[in-house]
Amino acid sequence: MWTFVVRRLLQSVIVILGVTLISFISLQMGGDPTFLFVSERASAEEIEMIRRALGFDRPLHIQYLTYLWNIVQGDFGNSLSYRQPAMNIVLGALPATIELTLFSMFFAISLAIPFGVFAAIYRGTALDGSIMTMAMFGQSIPSFWMGIMMILFFGLYLQWFPISGQVPFLMPLFQGDFATAFRNLPSSIYHLIMPAVAVGFYSLSRNARLVRSSMLEVLGQDFVRTARSKGISERAVVVNHALRNAWLPVVTMIGLEFGFLLGGVVVIETVFSWPGIGRLVFNAINQRDIPVVQASVIVLSVIFIALNLIVDLIYARIDPRVKL
Amino acid sequence: MSKTRSLLVASAASMVLAGSAMAQVSDDTIVVGLSADITTFEPAAISSRDNANIVRHIFDTLFSIEGDGSVVPDLATDLAISDDGLAYVYTLEAGRTCHDGEALTAEDVAYSFNRAKDPANAFTGNTPGFVFSSVGFVDAVALDDLTVQINIAAPNPIAFGLLAEVYVHCMDSYAAMTLEQAATTPIGSGSYRLVSWTPGSEVVLEKVADPGTFQNIVYRIIPEASTRSAELMAGNVDIITNVAPDQVDAINASGVAAVQSVQGTRRMYVGFNLSEPFAAMPGGDAIQDPDVRRALQYAIDVPTICAQLLNFPCERATGIVNPPNANQALTPYPYDPAMAEQLLDAAGWPRLDDGNRFTIRFQAGKGRYLNDENVVLAIAQYLSDVGLNIELDVMEWGSVYVPLIRQRNVGPLFFLGSGGALWSPLYDMTDLAKVDSGTNYTHWSDPRWFDRWADIAAANTPEEQRVIIDEMLQVFYDDGPWLHLYFQPDFYGVSGRLNWTARPDEKVYLFNATLN
Amino acid sequence: MTDTTDAFALAPVKGSGLRRGLARAGRSLVAAKWPLLALLILAIVAFVAIFGPLISPLDPNRQNIMLRLAAPMAEGPNGATFVMGSDALGRDVFSRLLYGARVSLLVGISAILVGGTLGVTAGLVSGYFGGWIDDVLMRLGDIQLAFPFILLAIMFLVVLGPGLFNLIVVLGIGQWVTYARIVRAQTLSLREKEFVEAARALGDSTASIIFRTILPNIIAPLTVIASFNVASVILAEAALSFLGLGVPPEVPTWGSMLAQSRDQLIANKWWLAIFPGLAIVVTVLSFNILGDWLRDFLDPRLKERG
Repeated sequence: MWTFVVRRLLQSVIVILGVTLISFISLQMGGDPTFLFVSERASAEEIEMIRRALGFDRPLHIQYLTYLWNIVQGDFGNSLSYRQPAMNIVLGALPATIELTLFSMFFAISLAIPFGVFAAIYRGTALDGSIMTMAMFGQSIPSFWMGIMMILFFGLYLQWFPISGQVPFLMPLFQGDFATAFRNLPSSIYHLIMPAVAVGFYSLSRNARLVRSSMLEVLGQDFVRTARSKGISERAVVVNHALRNAWLPVVTMIGLEFGFLLGGVVVIETVFSWPGIGRLVFNAINQRDIPVVQASVIVLSVIFIALNLIVDLIYARIDPRVKL
Repeated sequence: MSKTRSLLVASAASMVLAGSAMAQVSDDTIVVGLSADITTFEPAAISSRDNANIVRHIFDTLFSIEGDGSVVPDLATDLAISDDGLAYVYTLEAGRTCHDGEALTAEDVAYSFNRAKDPANAFTGNTPGFVFSSVGFVDAVALDDLTVQINIAAPNPIAFGLLAEVYVHCMDSYAAMTLEQAATTPIGSGSYRLVSWTPGSEVVLEKVADPGTFQNIVYRIIPEASTRSAELMAGNVDIITNVAPDQVDAINASGVAAVQSVQGTRRMYVGFNLSEPFAAMPGGDAIQDPDVRRALQYAIDVPTICAQLLNFPCERATGIVNPPNANQALTPYPYDPAMAEQLLDAAGWPRLDDGNRFTIRFQAGKGRYLNDENVVLAIAQYLSDVGLNIELDVMEWGSVYVPLIRQRNVGPLFFLGSGGALWSPLYDMTDLAKVDSGTNYTHWSDPRWFDRWADIAAANTPEEQRVIIDEMLQVFYDDGPWLHLYFQPDFYGVSGRLNWTARPDEKVYLFNATLN
Repeated sequence: MTDTTDAFALAPVKGSGLRRGLARAGRSLVAAKWPLLALLILAIVAFVAIFGPLISPLDPNRQNIMLRLAAPMAEGPNGATFVMGSDALGRDVFSRLLYGARVSLLVGISAILVGGTLGVTAGLVSGYFGGWIDDVLMRLGDIQLAFPFILLAIMFLVVLGPGLFNLIVVLGIGQWVTYARIVRAQTLSLREKEFVEAARALGDSTASIIFRTILPNIIAPLTVIASFNVASVILAEAALSFLGLGVPPEVPTWGSMLAQSRDQLIANKWWLAIFPGLAIVVTVLSFNILGDWLRDFLDPRLKERG
C-alpha cells in the first residue's frame, strides 16, 4: 500500500505543476497585465516602472520558473490587488468555502441516503415516484436561480432566514479562538442553511438517484434473495445485507462530491455574499491577480488530490477485490 | 424520541430568535451595502470608489470638496499659491492629532505626499497614479510646524482640487510599518478608526472624534444586486449603492426604504477612434469625416435610453462638461433619424444594395456601468437603423477591455464613461489636455481645441477663461470625437429610518447622516 | 470509481441484433410511458430547434425599448402579441425562446460531441495500450479534475473572450475525462475477452480491433452518460452566463435568458424567468428520464426483474 501512496504523491506533484502551468499560461494569454494596475493618467515612464516593479517585464518562462523556485521555498508571492502574501489571502477565504461545502455535503448526503433507500425499497410506489420527481427537478434547476428565489421567498418575504452574509465558525476554530467559534455556531448554521441548500440540492438529487439504483442492484442480488427466503425480516435484509454492500459506491460519491461542490460554489458565493474562495478566485481572474489565482489553484488541487487519495485507500480497505 | 424532538425545536427557536435579533440595526450603527470588494487600507494604494468612500472616514485631507463642488477647509485653514503657480503653501490647523496620539504637523503632511510618490513603494493608487500625474507633483516640503509647501512642475488651474484628495497620515506610525501592515492597519486622523476588516465580508469602523453622528459604521460587501435590494427591504441595511434601475420601483413600493436617484457627474459617451491605424479599418475611414460623426449624433434617442433603460429622465449631454459648467448656448442634439440619414447621404455614404452604408465595429466592456450591456445593445440598434452594419464586440471589463482602453486601442466605436466633477469645467476637460494624453482614447487632435489650452493658461481673469472654454466646447459639440450620451445617474437605496442625502459625485460620506 | 461501469457488463453485440434491439426498445418505451413522453418532448424540442425560426412571430433580436418588460399577451409592435411578454430591451420572449432552443441544443450537443470524441479516443487508446500512454492520459485527466471545472472555464473564457465557439470548446473539454475513464475501464475488461482474442488471432489490425470490435460494445453506456451530460452542459451554460461568460448578449440561449432575468425577479417580472426556466427543466428532465430508461433497458440484470 505504501508504494501506492508514494507513487500517487509523486504523480500529484506533477499534477500540481500542470495545474499551475495551465493557470499561468491562461492568465498571461490576454496580454500584458500591467495596464490593470496603472491609472489612466499614468505616463509611459510610470507604466514602465510599474511593469518592472510587478515583474511583468521579464520573459514568460523566467516569470514562471522564478515563481516555482519561490514556491519551493514557501513564498507564494504577494497579491497584486491586496499587496499582501497571496497564500494568506487564499487561506483566509478557504474556511468559509469549506464550511459551505461541508454543510452542503451533510445536507445532500444525509437526505440522499434515506431518500434513495426508501425509494428503492418502495420501488414503483407513489413514494418512489415523488422522490424521483423531486430528484429529477433538482438536477434540472440552475443553482443561481434557486438561490435568488430562496432569498426572495424565505429571506425577504417570510423572513425565516438571513438573506446573505456569513458568520465565521471554522476560521476562529482554526485560529484557536474556541470561545468565539462556539459562540458563533448557532448563527453560523443559521446563515449556512439557505446557501447550503442552494449548493447541495443538485447533489442531493443526483445522489438520491445513485443510492436508489445502487440499492436496487444489491437488493436484486442472489445473497439477498437467499436471506429473504431464509425468512429474515425485510428490515434486517436491508440494514444488515443490502446497505453494507451498497455503501461502497456511496463512499466514492462522498469523495468526489467535495471536489464537485467546491467547483459549484462560485455562483452561490456571489448570490449570498459568501466570502469564500470561489468568489476570491473569480475576482482575481478578472483582475489578473496572478499570485492569488495560482495560490488558490494550488490549494484547491491539493485538497482534491488528498481527498482522491483517501477515497482510493478507503475503497481498497473495504473492497478486497480492488488491488492497489 | 420526544426529548430529541423538543431539543430540536428549542434550538430552532433560538436560531430564529437570534436571527430576528440580528435583523434590527441598532440606533448607534449605520450599515452600508457595497457592491464590490475592497482590497486595501493603504492610503496611497486606494483606487476604487468604494474603497475611497470608506477610507475617507479614517483619513483627513487638506481641503474637502462638498457635493455641490465647493471646496471647504479640513486639515488646512488656508492656501496660498505662488505667482508662478508652482508652489502651493498650506497653513494647517493647530492641535490635530492622529489616532495613535501623534501630533499632526506639516512634517507629517509632507511625509504623506512624498511617501506616495516614492518609487521604492511602487504604489498604484489614485494619489500617485492620477493626482500626481495630473498635477505634475514634484515634492512636498514642511516650511515650519504648521506650514507645508507642495511643489508642482507646471502651473495647473485644477491642481488645488486634485491635491485636496490626498490622504494625510502621520509619519512615525507609517515609517514604522511595513507595506503589508499599512495595507491592513490604517492609522489616520479622521473621525473614525478601523475596528475590523473581514475581506470579502465586512468592514467595521468606530467613531473617535467629531464630525460624525453614528458611533459605528458597518460596510457589508453584497455583490449581487437582488440580494442588496432584499437586504435593504428587509431592514438589515441602511444604504445600498448601485441599485439596478429595474429594482427602483420595487424598493420604493416596499415602504421600508426609498431610492434616491441623483444626476451623477460621470460622462458616458461613444468614442470615435480617429487614429491612423483605425482609419484603415472598416468604418474607420467614415468616422474621420466630422460630417459623418455629426450625422450619427442625430441617430440616437438618448432621452428614451435614459428613461427606459436607466429609469431616470435625463437631458442629453452637449459635450464633455457637466451641466452647470457647460456651454449654456448649446442645445443637445435631438433624436432625428431622418436627419441622420440625410446627412449620411450628403456626406457620401449612401445605402448600398444590402441596405447598409458601411460596416463598423463597436466595442464595449460589460458590468462596469449602469445597465451598460443593454445601453450598448440599444445604441447598436439605433445605429443600425440608420444604415450602419454594426459588429458588436462586448467583452469582459477588467482584464480584457481595460487593457485595450489603456493602450488607446479600442474602436473604431467604443463605449466608455469618465468620472467628472462639479467644481471646475477644466477638470472635466482635462481628459483631453494634450493630444498624447493617456486619457485621449479617441486620438483626437483638432488644433482648435488643443492649441487653446495655452490660451487658458495665459488668461488673466476667470471671465476670459470662460470665453475660451465656451469656444472650445463649441468645437467639441460640432466636430468632436464623442457621440454625446448622458451623465450617468446614481441610485442609492436609503432606509426610511435614515436621514441622508446622496451626492452627485459618487462619494458616499456618512458624517452628517442622522436618524429620522 | 468503477460503480457505474459494473452495470454495463455486456455480451458481444451482433449485427442483426440491432433491428431486434430497436423493436424491443420500442416496446419497452411504450410500456414505461414516461420515457415515451420524454422522447416526444425531445422530438418537439428538436423540431423547434430546426424549424423554430420559421414559426417565430417576431425578430428575437429586435429591440422595442418603449415596450420593454411587457407582461405576457401584451400588445407588441405592428399589432403582434408578446405571447410570453417582452424582456428588458423589449425583445419578444417567445421568439427568443424558439431561437434559444436552437442555440442551447447546439451548444449542448456540440459540447458532448467534442468532449465525447476526445474522451472516447483517449479512453480507447489508454485502455488498449496501457503503459506510459495510459499513465500520461490518466494524469492529464487528474490535472483537469483537480481543477474545479468552473474555474477552468472562467480562466479560458475571460481570456479567449466570449463567443459560441469558445464556449463549446470549453464546455467540451470539461467533459472528456468522464468519457475517457468509463471507456478505459470497459476497454480494459473487454481487451482480454475471447472475441477480441479471436480477432487478434485472425490478424485484424489494432485500429480495426479498437474501432470495429471494442467500440460497438461501449456505445450503449456512452449514450447513457451522454444523455445525462447534455443536461449538465445546459446548466453549465446557464451558470457561465450568470457569471457574464456565456454567449454574446444578442445571442439567445435559455441559460442566458434565465441569467439576464436575475435583476427583474425582485420586481415580479416572473415571465422572464419562468419560461426559459421551464424550457430548461423540461428538456433536462426529458434527457434524464430517457437516460434512466436507457440504462435500465441495457442492464441485463434488471431485465430479469422486468
